[in-house]
Amino acid sequence: MKHLNAEPSAPAAGAATTELTTISIRIPAPLRDYAGGAAELSLPATSVRAALAQLERHHPSLYRSVCDETGAVRRHVNLFVNLAHVRDRHGLDTALAPGDILTILPAVSGG
Amino acid sequence: MPKRVILCVGTKKGLFVVEAPTSRRGFTLRGPFSPGVAVYSALIDTRGRTPTLYASSCNAFFGMKVLRSTDLGRAFTETASAPAFPKDDGRALANIWSLEVGDDERDLWCGVEPAALFRSADGGDSWNMVSGISNHPHAGKWEPGNGGLCMHTIVRDGTRVHLGISTGGHYLSEDGGETFAASNDGIGVGFVPDPYPEFGQCVHKIASHPGAPGRLYIQNHGGWPDRPGIGVLRSDDHGHTWRSIAEGLPSDFGFPIVVHPHDPDTVYVLPLEPMTRTCPDGAPAVWRSDNGGGAWTRLAHGLPEKESFFTVQRDAMDIDTLESPALYFGTTTGQLWIGHSSGDEWSCLFDSLPPIHCVKVAVV
Repeated sequence: MKHLNAEPSAPAAGAATTELTTISIRIPAPLRDYAGGAAELSLPATSVRAALAQLERHHPSLYRSVCDETGAVRRHVNLFVNLAHVRDRHGLDTALAPGDILTILPAVSGG
Repeated sequence: MPKRVILCVGTKKGLFVVEAPTSRRGFTLRGPFSPGVAVYSALIDTRGRTPTLYASSCNAFFGMKVLRSTDLGRAFTETASAPAFPKDDGRALANIWSLEVGDDERDLWCGVEPAALFRSADGGDSWNMVSGISNHPHAGKWEPGNGGLCMHTIVRDGTRVHLGISTGGHYLSEDGGETFAASNDGIGVGFVPDPYPEFGQCVHKIASHPGAPGRLYIQNHGGWPDRPGIGVLRSDDHGHTWRSIAEGLPSDFGFPIVVHPHDPDTVYVLPLEPMTRTCPDGAPAVWRSDNGGGAWTRLAHGLPEKESFFTVQRDAMDIDTLESPALYFGTTTGQLWIGHSSGDEWSCLFDSLPPIHCVKVAVV
């Protein structure tokens, strides 16, 4: 298990090549049925946007649960690269480095 | 031969299925299905050899789903996809408000928020937006009501399609849903200076009887002291013109409106006090007209006589189709009521459900 880095990588420009950038996506329990029951997926992506594009291609139901049809991340879904919320970095353009962990979590909201 | 009465009860915390023999004794409850997720619309599709139950699962976190059951609501699975706007449209689905049957056994229609219409040719596994209304020139001027900008009613009659949009008004297609026109002549508003605009009305619900499709009823957003009587309306010309039938009601504000399954002249409303949108004087009652809205009778025997301040939402009242039909309504306080003998005698079936958004009943 990779240790979590507190700081995600710099913006995507200049990041490692896709072939070398295998990252992990952690999937919350309510969405695991859309990933064949997996709690974690490994895939190549150099940015959060690229990782979501991979989800759209290979796990469309999971993607639709994370992003609406405009491509925006749903209002009550949060994405973290390692320990940092992507909104505090570069949003969907936040770069990913080999071994980074992209965590999908539902927000604390509801009633 | 019908064997049972079955209800889909959509709540803030999931879908419940209620079932009883046609004697309507011994109702049982199962669920919640899609637990923890709001269900705003349901459909009991009796067209096929085996009834199919549908429900919307409106997940605030992970988006909209459509649920389907082919075993009378013992298990539900998600359809392969839910309605979604085209990627370059710019709109994103916020809720699913109505599900209705279409032309053949697999054809489904679906009204959503923001107000738009979708259609499925394969029982809900894939969906196409109906552009004639979804991209109507008026669409950019529709405004959300308190519940959101929703297409909550789809009434089909051959090539005619009636849509209810809050707030957009009543739209009518006479070519099977290809094109739509605002058809609000006589439907008033109290929230803009023009009392009878071309469109923009806050229609709450539309109801009709399949045997008399030219007759329609609307529960409109009434309760305006300066514009009385605009809340309960009737059309006798397929929805081209409308007139008030609110005289005699304690309030012309309300959400649901239901037509008797065997008599198009018999119609039911559940008036609410307009400021609080709860039962007038804390005493809930359904009101029935047996002559198309010419006179109204209060039906409250068995309902609480005081201190009840719930709301009944637009899709939370329905009527079964047995010879002596029973009415059903669900409350925002989680009670499911049955009104035997066409609403003459009320009793509470379940009193501690989550807040109820919709109630649909069928005899199967």
